[in-house]
Amino acid sequence: MFKAVLNIPPAEPKDIRWFYDRYAAMLLGYINGIVKDKQQSEDQLVKILISFTQDFVAAEKSNQHIWLELRQYAQNRLNSAVLSDRQLIQKQSVSEPGLASLDDLQKIVFKAVYYHGKSISQLAISLNYGEEEIRNQLKLAIDKMRRARGN
Amino acid sequence: MEIKKLMESGLMETYVMGIATEEEIQQVLSLTKTHPEFKNALDQLEFDMETLAQSMSIDPPAGTLEKIEQEINQIQRRNQALQAEPEPAFRYDNREQEYAKQERYIEVESESNQMRVNKAWKWAFIAVFVLGKIFLATAIYFYLENRQAQEQINELKIELKQKLR
Repeated sequence: MFKAVLNIPPAEPKDIRWFYDRYAAMLLGYINGIVKDKQQSEDQLVKILISFTQDFVAAEKSNQHIWLELRQYAQNRLNSAVLSDRQLIQKQSVSEPGLASLDDLQKIVFKAVYYHGKSISQLAISLNYGEEEIRNQLKLAIDKMRRARGN
Repeated sequence: MEIKKLMESGLMETYVMGIATEEEIQQVLSLTKTHPEFKNALDQLEFDMETLAQSMSIDPPAGTLEKIEQEINQIQRRNQALQAEPEPAFRYDNREQEYAKQERYIEVESESNQMRVNKAWKWAFIAVFVLGKIFLATAIYFYLENRQAQEQINELKIELKQKLR
């Protein structure tokens, strides 16, 4: 999915403005979910937006895949310092109002996948559940959040 | 029925969350082509994930955009400067090479007690040295001859004076 952003000429400043208006707040919220520090999150926002827009030219600006690509790009950059599964689960214990409708296991699974890109098999091993159960919990978590927003 | 089962299996969720395996990615891409309802459901899920991110968004502090634009402009200026720097030609004559060297290096004045001379000057120096020796010997010879002659003249003068008395 991310191959599309590679080997493309750098973006012009007007594209930066477009990216910023559309994604900066979403990205800062996402980064803050990983970093858990306001100042560090803001610094990372600047770095990530600069490097992403240098690599990326939006051929189809209405394309909603851009956010998914941007989120994965940020995730890869921020999680390069690999946390152990134990640290990850401890970090996830911080409560977030957006995930209020989820039970504890769903929160852990959703956050590990959404913020840290943990795979189903990694989570199955670290949480001592079957892969099908983890996959099911992820789907339930997303369904609950979609329903909570009336989707 | 089969497609409904796949849509409920969590395959779309792992794909949208970016953790699908290569096999799952291929499966999703294939299903989006063959089953429009699968594609619609996937698009809807992607849209909902964006809406979810919007609900968790945090407004960046004022001045962040200016900071980003400034840094991008700096990067672009740096890149332009690097591109503007001429590539060295594969071949050029010595004069051009010297010129290029002068352009690239700062000239530093240095004083040295040593002097480098072309080897062709060796015979000239030898000739000058030998001739110098010959002139010196000749000068000494004539000086001694002249002194001896002066002494003889003085002796003759004395002799003549004594005879005249």
